[in-house]
Amino acid sequence: MTATRRDVLRLGLIAGASLVVPIRFDALSPATPRKKRDLKPAPDPERFRHRQWISIDASGQVTLVVHKSEMGQGVRTSLPMILAEELEADWRSVVVVQAEPGPDFPDMGTSGSDAVESSWLPLRQAGASARALLIEAAARTWKVPAFDCRAEAGTVRHDASGRVAPYGDLVGAAARLPIPTDAPLKSAAEFRLIGSRVRRLDGPAIVSGAAVYGLDVRVPGMLRAAIARCPVPGGHALSFDASAAKRISGVREVASVPSGVAVVADDTWSAFAGRDALAVVWDEGENASHDSAIYWARLEKALDQDARTTRSEGDAKAALGAAGVRRIDAEYRFPFQAHATVETMNATASLAPGKAEIWAGTQSPNGLQARVAKLLSIPPAAVRVHVPLLGGGFGRRIANDYAIEAVEVARVVGRPVQVVWSRQDDMRHDFYQPASITRFSGGLDARGRVAAWWHRSSTFHLTLFGPLDVNDPDTWGENPWGGFDNPYGIPALRVEYAVQPSPVPTGAWRAVDYPPTVFARESFVDELARASGRDPLGLRRELLGGPNPTIGKRVIDLGRIRRVLDLAADKAGWGTPLPAASGERRGRGIACNVYHGRTVAAQVAEVTVRRDGHVSVDRIVCAFDCGRIINRAGLEGQIESGIVWGLAAALFTRITFRKGRVEQGNYRDFPVPRLPDCPKIEIHLVEGADRPSGAGEQPVPPTAPAIANAIFAATGRRVRTLPIRPEDLIA
Amino acid sequence: MRRFTIRVNGERRTFEAEPEMPLLWALRDRLGLTGTKYGCGVGVCGACTVLRDGRAVRSCQISVLEAARGRFTTIEGLSRDGTHPCQRAWIEEDVAQCGFCQPGMILETAALLRKKPLPSDGDIDRALGEHVCRCGSYPRVRRAVHTAARFTGSGR
Repeated sequence: MTATRRDVLRLGLIAGASLVVPIRFDALSPATPRKKRDLKPAPDPERFRHRQWISIDASGQVTLVVHKSEMGQGVRTSLPMILAEELEADWRSVVVVQAEPGPDFPDMGTSGSDAVESSWLPLRQAGASARALLIEAAARTWKVPAFDCRAEAGTVRHDASGRVAPYGDLVGAAARLPIPTDAPLKSAAEFRLIGSRVRRLDGPAIVSGAAVYGLDVRVPGMLRAAIARCPVPGGHALSFDASAAKRISGVREVASVPSGVAVVADDTWSAFAGRDALAVVWDEGENASHDSAIYWARLEKALDQDARTTRSEGDAKAALGAAGVRRIDAEYRFPFQAHATVETMNATASLAPGKAEIWAGTQSPNGLQARVAKLLSIPPAAVRVHVPLLGGGFGRRIANDYAIEAVEVARVVGRPVQVVWSRQDDMRHDFYQPASITRFSGGLDARGRVAAWWHRSSTFHLTLFGPLDVNDPDTWGENPWGGFDNPYGIPALRVEYAVQPSPVPTGAWRAVDYPPTVFARESFVDELARASGRDPLGLRRELLGGPNPTIGKRVIDLGRIRRVLDLAADKAGWGTPLPAASGERRGRGIACNVYHGRTVAAQVAEVTVRRDGHVSVDRIVCAFDCGRIINRAGLEGQIESGIVWGLAAALFTRITFRKGRVEQGNYRDFPVPRLPDCPKIEIHLVEGADRPSGAGEQPVPPTAPAIANAIFAATGRRVRTLPIRPEDLIA
Repeated sequence: MRRFTIRVNGERRTFEAEPEMPLLWALRDRLGLTGTKYGCGVGVCGACTVLRDGRAVRSCQISVLEAARGRFTTIEGLSRDGTHPCQRAWIEEDVAQCGFCQPGMILETAALLRKKPLPSDGDIDRALGEHVCRCGSYPRVRRAVHTAARFTGSGR
């Protein structure tokens, strides 16, 4: 699964010869998110410092060491596609191995929809350099000018003489040539692989059961551990009685660890059974009396008392009170949410004096290596981190808490240990999406135009990044996403943001602030359209009709947003009748978003609402522009995926607290959508830029507001709290 | 601990376990068949689906004691080389994202096609309606079931 540079160089020697070409990556891409802003895509690559590499061996096999974690976004396919395109490699000869963190791979963090965008130029340059070397090697061998030779499908050809040499025959000669730094890149018109549909390289392993996820890692002599954690986040164990647990067959040891009490056994089932038999006395801490209502009350209070202005144009408060302006107020709520990846959290650790080996599905391998090194007081180089496939990530696996647990338990028992979380553990000890409240006041002038816009959001700090620091400008900065970078042109606009210390662990949940903020924003635009008697699409077009704004450091291309709005509306039949059967109410809703100034998306949802309030989402039409498309099949998969994620938040899931405990514990009470709930999804892609931008997160935000707006169109009911429940909509 | 012998993927496999250990954990932790996945432990997500005498069952809900009866097929035994029509259909439609839930869905589909060689969308909803895919691969799953039916029907 994994290899070090040394391994590959050694393999190259055994194979006879190989060509190793560095990939010069941008050092600015955050290896480990330390702040919320690090979850944004990396800045444009401009300084190349760190070196990764590709190799081509004497058999012609092209090896790319992939430095990003594969969690279903298809990165182990899209990154080699970029390389193979410039290299003119035969796609069938391309293999990937997973990188390990270390000096060659300082930048393995996988978050912020950033992998393709940050790899695009470096991989192309590496591929072009290797191609130039192979052409030069062939030209010298054949004693012809290099510019008379060309590369195609893993060979160099000299058309005038009809000579052809496979790459494998050229690597020895090419490896002795200096590596060019300015090899010309292909033009987009020459792309054959980029923009095509390529099936996932991991597909055959997945469908045969051979794919190895963290839970499938097997290390000789390893034990399994389940950990009893305080049911109230923030509490800790005071004492425990292990006698019943130790009577369970297979249980080896019961030990206190920082996160609770670990039951270590020969197999997973015995570890779970032993943990269930454990009697622990908990100090439940200060959250023990808290129900969800208390957390909502804190957010309300913060909204009234602690909000800071993060963006202001004109005087929104004055404009709202101006003569002839009609003021409209609305407040929206988005609950705590869990990630609920189907593979529960788990990790395996094997320790030896002065060194450690970890297997963890993690989105932050470098961060894990550093934490383990610190924990064990050994140098980072003594910590090997293997990254198997992730059975879902969505931001949960940035945290590494579960992998640290594996190290803690392995240290106590002196044997390799796999820590396995049950589903209930996973749902009750997540780094949750924090709840949030978004309050809007909008002003419509006498002609029905939006004259004023006052946005206030309050939410909880992401504890993933340590304690809340109100003195850190980044705490306020460009927040909230989707509010600060609201693209609509409004003469008087004010954005305020309040953030509270979080009572429970919180972290990065697919698209972070955007789903709650965009749900509120796009619902409110709909409300303003209804209030002013205008078409929701028409009002959006009007608000996006001005010059491109510069928000923060980014220029927002409004034309790209208008284009996806128009495309989605057109393909969905916006404005045409939507026939409903008797007893049913049907409607369409639209929403759009721009993700960190880059990727834009618009969605139209069609819903049917029954008399009993049951909602089915029949169809979602999505127009999406993330610039240059790499793998069309993979991109469409990400969009389908994001829409289903958004659907879950719109209608299905929430996390609530009672006496400090998470009330949900499995997919029964956190009922993510199943296949029958999935709408027909139609995707229309636009390539509005030459370079790619991220696609993993941006499909999510427009879905919930498109659905909520469609429900309003169907029923006249405006539901401002997610998830929308049938009782909100009974006829 | 007792000795159990179960028939899985055409072999008789013997191991020691407590009688109440779910088949899921015996497959994964005793027999090295890690293609069968743990997702919920209570039979509501479908990740642990295996075939028992050709019918889809949740291996987290069957104890090893009960598993003494019947012949089981896991994803590793569905075909020798990954060429079962369902596996080929899953590749054809590029279904998997993270892929973790897919073995369960593939086995459920194999069982469905035995009963209904040409399933309707309604049949697919009923058969696969309890499987959880957090990546949202559902549109492709639906397509892949139809494709698998086509492959099966045409003898491909």
